[in-house]
Amino acid sequence: MNKSVLIAFRELKERIGNRSFKLMLFIGPLLIVSMIYLLLESGNQGVTSMKVLISDPTNLFENKIAARTREGVTYYFYEDYIEFDAFKNSPKFQEFDALIELNEKVLINKKVFLFHREEPNLQLKMKLKFEIERRMEEVLIEQFTSLEVDEFRKIKQPLNIDFRNVDDPYSQADNGVAWIGYFLGYIMIFFIAIFGTNITKSINREKMNRISEVILASVKSRELMLGKIFGNLLASFLQLFAWIVFVGLGLWVLQSLIIPELFTPEHLTGVQISDQQLKDLGMQTMTQENMPMDLVFHRVNYWWLIPNFILFFLGTYWIFASFFTIMGAMSGDESDGQQFLVPIWILLSLTIFAGYNTLSYPDSGLTTFFSFFPWTSGMVSMIKVTVGVTLTQYLGILFAWIIQVSVGSLFIVLAARIFQHGILSYSHRFSLSLFFSWLRK
Amino acid sequence: MIEIASVSKFYNQKRALDGVDLTIQSGRIFGLIGPNGAGKTTLIRILNQIIEPSAGHVRIGGVPLNNGHVKTFGYLPEERGLYREMKVLDHLVFLARIRGLSKSDALKASNFWLDKFEINPWSAKRIDSLSKGMAQKVQFIGTVLHDPNVIILDEPLSGFDPLNIQLILQEIKAMKKAGKTVIFSTHNMNSVDEICDEVGLVNQGKLVAHDHVSALREKHKTGAFKVRYKGNQIAFANALWTGFELIQTEELGEHWFQSVIKSRHGEVFSDVYQTLSTAVELQLLEEQLPGMQDIFLELVTNHSHE
Repeated sequence: MNKSVLIAFRELKERIGNRSFKLMLFIGPLLIVSMIYLLLESGNQGVTSMKVLISDPTNLFENKIAARTREGVTYYFYEDYIEFDAFKNSPKFQEFDALIELNEKVLINKKVFLFHREEPNLQLKMKLKFEIERRMEEVLIEQFTSLEVDEFRKIKQPLNIDFRNVDDPYSQADNGVAWIGYFLGYIMIFFIAIFGTNITKSINREKMNRISEVILASVKSRELMLGKIFGNLLASFLQLFAWIVFVGLGLWVLQSLIIPELFTPEHLTGVQISDQQLKDLGMQTMTQENMPMDLVFHRVNYWWLIPNFILFFLGTYWIFASFFTIMGAMSGDESDGQQFLVPIWILLSLTIFAGYNTLSYPDSGLTTFFSFFPWTSGMVSMIKVTVGVTLTQYLGILFAWIIQVSVGSLFIVLAARIFQHGILSYSHRFSLSLFFSWLRK
Repeated sequence: MIEIASVSKFYNQKRALDGVDLTIQSGRIFGLIGPNGAGKTTLIRILNQIIEPSAGHVRIGGVPLNNGHVKTFGYLPEERGLYREMKVLDHLVFLARIRGLSKSDALKASNFWLDKFEINPWSAKRIDSLSKGMAQKVQFIGTVLHDPNVIILDEPLSGFDPLNIQLILQEIKAMKKAGKTVIFSTHNMNSVDEICDEVGLVNQGKLVAHDHVSALREKHKTGAFKVRYKGNQIAFANALWTGFELIQTEELGEHWFQSVIKSRHGEVFSDVYQTLSTAVELQLLEEQLPGMQDIFLELVTNHSHE
């Protein structure tokens, strides 16, 4: 084992000394932070003006929206109930971009639905929320209190406007957190692909330059193989750690330097109010309206995710490493090595698909299968723990991890057999009979 | 003492070694020779436990070959390999450490050999920046820096210029002097002549010959003698008459010749001297023993035709 450690550290040193490793140390986090920036920016997409029809059968608003801010929204009042299907399909309502339902319970439950045909942008959402909220305040004060507006604001409950698409009215569409899990799973697969390929390349290189024979005169083939696997694992962890640090730093820079500029009240041209005013209105901060920003900065529990990420990374790396090792040992030359990677890429792609499937159909039979299938369980588990799991569900995830590690260990044993024979074979032609003969020995 | 008993090795029904029996005495330089593909490398890999024999066994000092033995071996394979992106000193320290030396001992041994081979100024250079000869030296150092008892060298001279060949041969002789066993596989027969005590010739997976170098040369001598003389050429030819065959003659000057003669009936040195000393003035008489090159060719050709 001591020799495996020496080999692992030599591999690590070689990886670190590699120029591409050094470059990716900075380029990778830069790309991720750039993607996050674009994601945050994308929260500001959508239409900037709307014709909003307010269905107000009890005439609660009395056809008035008091605190108009700027142009962009035109309100129309309809003093009757409007069936959702009628709004969606009837030619009579097609000219309206959105429908706000003010039913008789709105004053009690403080919840208003807004059905839109096209997604409003952040400023427009803020404006709609602000204007409806202000009018609601007036109504409440007029009808139920003798308080001044400022006093009322101190005790009122915030209004919850639920924005829904007319084409998908029942979707909560709140799988953003799951997407974070998918993204982390994707990063995991990305690292495994890069550093796993390095295992294959490293074996190939040592076979081609014949150093393997010198090494094998001093260490067992299994020690050499494990040294390579752990060396590349260390290198990937090192890069991953650097990425976590740099991405964290990048997020801090975004939040401190870039996001305030983008999302200050002044920037929201339609709403000339301060953060304090927003708080007074019970709207907390605007970031909560920007789902990506909210996701990245508030809703993801990184202290929970990172240890789990490491756990699933280890399991998934372990099972894929055996394959990368076998492919390296089976290769007769470097072009063989590239060809043999195709089956692994297919498995890695299956893992990506499993993640997407989990996002789309979290409770399907196929997702259940993927959550225990050793090559895909890491990705599925990553998404599940990001979304949140009960203790029982988490125990199920740990069970899947144990299956993954056990199957991985079995493949490592098989890989060691192949490696033992393959490492000394150069310029041979791959054949299945050769593969099975190496496996049997 | 290394005992190789009935060792065979098959690769997918192809026979690489066929019942090789061989004993290599400690403290000797053993030349393992044979044509390409004869099975030398397979035998060497078995000795290093890189592969296992299909049949037979190897014993070292009466004990079956094990990892403990292999730790005391130094192995320079025919197909050389270096971590080209590593620095010279790092590479040597790494090799020494996987052979069991502590970091400080590895560093000490590496520096000792780098100094000895006068390449210490290159210790911080990357291996891919070295000349071929320099890289070969690094490989040789990597083989011996952990002070092995048995040194197995597969084509150690390839890639070296004549000066460095002498340097390596001197080192091998010094190792023998220090009581080490050296197994020396090469196609360079001059070096076998020069340094080997014993030779084993492998052909088509079989051990065709195994003996002391001098015994092999004696065994394969052809009865040829080189004679340098002054006098009459006809008198010389007449003296040879029925007992010897004149193979070639070279005129060195006036009445001065050098000839190669071959005995017809197994005459020895004294017979030749008696025959010729009365006929001409002898300046040189020596029995011409075959070199390892000739013995190699003869044995391989004969065995291949069997």
